[in-house]
Amino acid sequence: MVATVLRIRFRVLGNTLVRSPIQMVGFIFGVIGALWMLLLAGVGLFFVGTLDLDIARSVVTTAGALLTLGWVVGPIFAAGLDTTLDPAKLAPFPMTTRQMMVAITAGGLTGVPGITTAVGSLAVFLVWARYPVAAVAALVCVPLGVVICVVASRAVAALAAGIGGGRRTREIIGLVGFVLVIFASPIFVGITGAVVSASEQGVQLQALVTGLSWTPIAAAWAVPGDLAAGAWITGVLKLVIAAVTLAVLWWLWRRSLSASVVGPPARTATRRRSGSLGWFGVMPSNPVGATWARSLTSWTRDFRYLRQLLLIPFAPVLVLIYSRGDIDGPFFAASGLLVGFFAGILAYTDVSYDGTAFATVLQTGIRGRADRLGRMLGSATVSVPLVLLADVVTIAIAGKWELLPAVVGGSMGLTLVGLGVSAVSSALLVVPTPAPGDSPFKRVPGSTFTMFLAFFLCWALVAILALPAVIPAVLAIFAGATGAGWVSLGIGLVWGAVVFAGGVLIGGTRFDASAPRLLAQLRTFKGA
Amino acid sequence: MTDIPRDTPPPSNLPEAVAPPAPSDSLPAMQLAGLAKHFGQKVAVAGLDLTVPTGSFYGLVGPNGAGKTTTLSMATGLLRPDAGTARIHGVDVWTHPVEAKRLIGNLADGVRLFDRLTGEQLVTYTGMMFGLSRDEVGTRTADLLRIMDLTEAAGTPVVDYSAGMTKKVALACALVHAPRLLVLDEPFESVDPVSAANIEDILRGYTASGGTVIVSSHSMDLVQRMCDHVAVIAQGRLLASGTVDEVRGGQTLQDRFVELVGGRHHAEGPQWLRQS
Repeated sequence: MVATVLRIRFRVLGNTLVRSPIQMVGFIFGVIGALWMLLLAGVGLFFVGTLDLDIARSVVTTAGALLTLGWVVGPIFAAGLDTTLDPAKLAPFPMTTRQMMVAITAGGLTGVPGITTAVGSLAVFLVWARYPVAAVAALVCVPLGVVICVVASRAVAALAAGIGGGRRTREIIGLVGFVLVIFASPIFVGITGAVVSASEQGVQLQALVTGLSWTPIAAAWAVPGDLAAGAWITGVLKLVIAAVTLAVLWWLWRRSLSASVVGPPARTATRRRSGSLGWFGVMPSNPVGATWARSLTSWTRDFRYLRQLLLIPFAPVLVLIYSRGDIDGPFFAASGLLVGFFAGILAYTDVSYDGTAFATVLQTGIRGRADRLGRMLGSATVSVPLVLLADVVTIAIAGKWELLPAVVGGSMGLTLVGLGVSAVSSALLVVPTPAPGDSPFKRVPGSTFTMFLAFFLCWALVAILALPAVIPAVLAIFAGATGAGWVSLGIGLVWGAVVFAGGVLIGGTRFDASAPRLLAQLRTFKGA
Repeated sequence: MTDIPRDTPPPSNLPEAVAPPAPSDSLPAMQLAGLAKHFGQKVAVAGLDLTVPTGSFYGLVGPNGAGKTTTLSMATGLLRPDAGTARIHGVDVWTHPVEAKRLIGNLADGVRLFDRLTGEQLVTYTGMMFGLSRDEVGTRTADLLRIMDLTEAAGTPVVDYSAGMTKKVALACALVHAPRLLVLDEPFESVDPVSAANIEDILRGYTASGGTVIVSSHSMDLVQRMCDHVAVIAQGRLLASGTVDEVRGGQTLQDRFVELVGGRHHAEGPQWLRQS
């Protein structure tokens, strides 16, 4: 049964790649990336093997911990979980829950990330080649570590998707999990930074790695090193920890899986009073107003949009962490610019989130200009206040009120230019996105490569077009030319408005020509 | 084929909101000429000509994959044809899309709605998109939700609706701007019998007052009962069109359809499927 399911999985992958060239390109890039990482891991671990035993132990343990974390965190940032073998799809077949879990695990192991992990972890044997005991132990521990990776990623995703009954509850839990995971990375960077500075102050890095090796994420990888060093008791204990980790993860996954297969998520009775129109009662009754109200409703209620807004607090935190908590320096004061840079471009592929509901828009025969304006006003209604808030808060924390005009000018310029670019880009391209209410962990096939490419092109364009506002702002912030701040404010607002208007006009013309093509493309994504 | 709609009872209980504007010309409600579309190697629609007379209740039938949805998408401005023209009351859909779409109320099959909006918000949104005044939108939305039996669910997000309720709210959206032509792709799929009968009444009243309805369906009984005209499409070609009586020629529409399209098996099913 498991073999049959795996065959289906590869057939699905093959058919998808044959059907869509862009997904093929994305897949090839994925494979190239994986090979590159394998090469790095192999060469790196080979040299580590020639070093001192303590260093080798630390490196393998840390690498194992990072790998496990990557499996849990990675799906959200990059690829999403491969849902070819979705429990809901497997449910009609006569399989026990256990068989289903084995099949999904095997599917995870045989995907590109799974194969990469499995092959890469073989490189661990390069390290332990000189220590026969460790090499023998690794025969057990490496597969154990790899399986923990796969099972952990599935268990976390199943838990995030399965907790709670109602749609709203699930979405909120998904969002909270998403926030935690997003901030896990900067927090991790921060902790690493703290560890490095702590070790400079005499704290042994070694001790921290030893501590790490007792945690579920690293235990399996630490066992061979312990045995090689002759620490039999700790080695055996860590092996027990790893085994228990796998058992607990398996149990958690099984529980949420059997619950979700038998009892699909219940319908909730969330409802508004009739006559409560929300934004639709506020906006003018014309195509721009209707689009504006709908866009704003999405930005404030649809979790796919809300997830994007989480980037806004992310930017100053990121700056703070990379500047090692230096709130007095110019970088933190300038982080409002980064916020504006993020915020304006959020709607760069706004039509994608409509999905096939875009047909409703097209049926009304709305003119492109009105559609663009409505969408960008919706985005601006959310992003402009948030950017201003971020500007004021960061400046207040930094205590440099004299820089406010520069920061506001630069960030508003970036936001408005971003909106203008989005008005054009979202009329030209759609990318596969999750359906509303989908788990943030779910992968949309083919999305990764196209999305990143389009996103970076748009970003580059924004960066270039916003230079007239950003240059004076940077002069004011970093060179202390306070007068330049007011110049930046003036240019940012005027030039930003010009680019915004130009984007709406150009995007409108493009939209009139390309809207049926966008719908046709969105229809092809639907099956995916 | 005659272009005279069959005699219909006078407008009955049709709410003011959905009465179409009086026809001001004698052009057909929809005229397709040489419409063609292919996807890759596969020809979906192969040069289709079709005339839908104003005031008719027109059924579009065909086997799965016949090109019904593709044809209707091209006729309503959702999918650009490779060749051919589509005119709605004389307005070319692809050269004057904005004007043409004002005349069409469209219930597309296989597309999502903005399902995070409540039913009431969704109908209001659609009305606003057509630039109706706020009072007008409010009145029409309330009327439409009432006749679709959705007043209770007006404040519930559409994502939490059942399949039949979703169809009904989509139909309400198609009607809100009082179009002259209604294009309904599979309007009765998963709608319960009571709601289907209510919707049928609405559509009859609508055609009686001069509106035109095109429905695609798999149900021959339904088309034979409801429609006055019918077109049979298979493999992207028009096999027959005209009044229902002309097309079926004394047989039931079901038998005539099978005769035209072919592919009927007279087998008992495979041996292994038999239970005794």
